[in-house]
Amino acid sequence: MDTPRGGDAAEYARLVRHLDSLLEVSKAMASAIDLDSLLGVIQSEATQVMDAERGTIFIHDEGTGTLWNRVSGGLAPGLVRVAVGTGIAGHVAKDGRVLNVPDAYGDSRFNPEVDRQTSFRTRSILCAPIFGHGRRLLGVIQVLNKAGGGVFTRDDEVLMEAFASHAALALDRARLVEAFVEKQRIEEGLRLARDIQRAMLPRRFPAQREFELMAEVRPARSVGGDFYDFFVDRDRLWFLVGDVSGKGMAAALFMAVAKTLFHAGVQGESSPSAVFAKVNRELCRDNDDAMFVTVFAGCLDLRTGEVVAGNAGHHPPYRLGREGAVTKVAGPSGVPLGVRDGDEYMGGTLRLEPGEGLYLYTDGITEALNERGEQFSDSRLEAYLRGASGATAAEVVRGSLAAVQDFVGGSPPFDDITVMSLRYLGG
Amino acid sequence: MSEAGGEVAVVAPRGRIDTNTSGELERTLFGHLGAGETRMLVDLSGVEYISSAGLRVLLKAEKAVHQKGGRLVLCSLGQPVREVFDLSGLSSVFAIEDTRERARERFAEGK
Repeated sequence: MDTPRGGDAAEYARLVRHLDSLLEVSKAMASAIDLDSLLGVIQSEATQVMDAERGTIFIHDEGTGTLWNRVSGGLAPGLVRVAVGTGIAGHVAKDGRVLNVPDAYGDSRFNPEVDRQTSFRTRSILCAPIFGHGRRLLGVIQVLNKAGGGVFTRDDEVLMEAFASHAALALDRARLVEAFVEKQRIEEGLRLARDIQRAMLPRRFPAQREFELMAEVRPARSVGGDFYDFFVDRDRLWFLVGDVSGKGMAAALFMAVAKTLFHAGVQGESSPSAVFAKVNRELCRDNDDAMFVTVFAGCLDLRTGEVVAGNAGHHPPYRLGREGAVTKVAGPSGVPLGVRDGDEYMGGTLRLEPGEGLYLYTDGITEALNERGEQFSDSRLEAYLRGASGATAAEVVRGSLAAVQDFVGGSPPFDDITVMSLRYLGG
Repeated sequence: MSEAGGEVAVVAPRGRIDTNTSGELERTLFGHLGAGETRMLVDLSGVEYISSAGLRVLLKAEKAVHQKGGRLVLCSLGQPVREVFDLSGLSSVFAIEDTRERARERFAEGK
C-alpha cells in the first residue's frame, strides 16, 4: 500500500479503512469455520471497502477446468460457470496476475453474457487470482463498477491481493478440515468394524470335565475378518476358526454373516463339510466382490474323542500329541467358502486320546513379521508348541501369543492373529 | 505394470500384493476390462507374497472376465505364491500355467 504522505488526512483515513476491513476479515477467519460464511465476509468486505457495486468469488473446479460463484452476492450461487481462459475472470485464472479493466465493453476479453442474464451493466472490473498452498489455483475474486463511475486504483489492486490471500487461506483450511473429517470417518468405520468383530466372538469358555477350550483374536490396527466360534450341542463340541479375505468393514460384515450361517447350518448335521456346503451356497449368492472365507471346523464327540473335521482352504491345525509330539492334521481341503457355487466338501476324521489336543490358528501368526522382515513361520510356531507339552489350553493360547509378540518386538501387527486351543480330557 | 501383448492384456504386478497394494492391482485389471479387453494374462513371477486381499482381487477379476465371455490366466507363480494358491485350494479355481508362453497357448486354444 502506498505510504500516506505526511498531513494527508484523507489518504490516512482511507488506509485506516482498508486496514479495518482486512481486520474484519481476519476476525471472521478466526471465529468462523464454515467456508461459505467466510467467503461471504471476504466478498462483501472487498465490495464495500473498494466502493464497488458487486463482488464475486469464483471457485476453481479442477475436474472441469471451470470457475463458478459459490456464495451469493448479487448473483445466485452457481449461476455463473465459465471456463478457465474465457472472460475476464477466466483470463485472470489462466494468467495468474491481477487485472484492472477500466472499461469492460472496451476490452475484447470481456464476456457480456452474464450482464445480459442478470440485467446488469458492467463498467470497470478489478480481478485477482486466488492461489493456495503450492501456488495451486483455487479461484478468483473480482469487484465490479467503482462508485461514481470511477476506475479502480493501484491501491485497490494491492488491497485486492490481500483479500485474495485471505480467501486462499480460508479455502486451504477448508480443504484440510475436509481431509481431517474424511480421516475421522474412516477411523470411525474401523472402530465399528472392530466392535462388530468383538461382539461376534464368544468370550465365555465352557468349563466341562471332557475338554478345555480357549481362543483369542488379537486384532491388528486395520481390522481383518478373523473369527472363531464354538458351541456344545448335547455330546458334541463344534469349533472353528476362520479368516475372511481383506480387511475393514466389508470383511467384518462378511465374517458376521459367515459365522451366523455356520451356526444355523449345524442343525441336524454331524460333519463340518456338510455345513460348509450349505454355507458356501449362501455366501456365493450375489458375491460380485468375490469375498471369501477360509475355515477349519471340527466336531468333537465328547464320549469317544473322535473329531470329524472339515477344511475350506484354511491352514490345517496342529495336533498336540502326548510327550510333545506336534503334527499337522492331514486331510482333504476344499476351496474357501464363497468362491465356487455348488461345491461339495470332503471331511476327515481323527481320534484324540485323553490329554491330546488341537491347535487352530490363522496365518496372521505364522506370517507375523519381525523388524528384520522375517516371518514367525510354521517352524517357530511348531517349536513353541513342542515345548508346551502338557500345558492347559489357556496356557497354550497365552504362550503362543506371547511367543509371537516376543518375536515381532516393536513391529505393529499387520494382520489379525487368531488362535484356538482344544484339549480333550476323556469321556 | 502392464504391457501391450497383442490381443491378450498382460499384467505383471511386482512385490507384495496385500491390503495396501491390492487396490492398485484391482484398478489395473478392471481398467483393462473397462477398455473392453476380456483376455487377460497375469504374470505373477515378480510377486513375492500374496495375501487373501490379493487373492480376492484376482477372483473378482476372474469372475468379471468370465461373465463377459473372456478368460483370465495366471502364470509363472514363484514357490511361496504357489503355496498360497495350493494351501487355499484356489489353484483349482484359476487357470494356472508355468510360463507366459504356455499361458498364451491357452488363449490360442480357447480363442
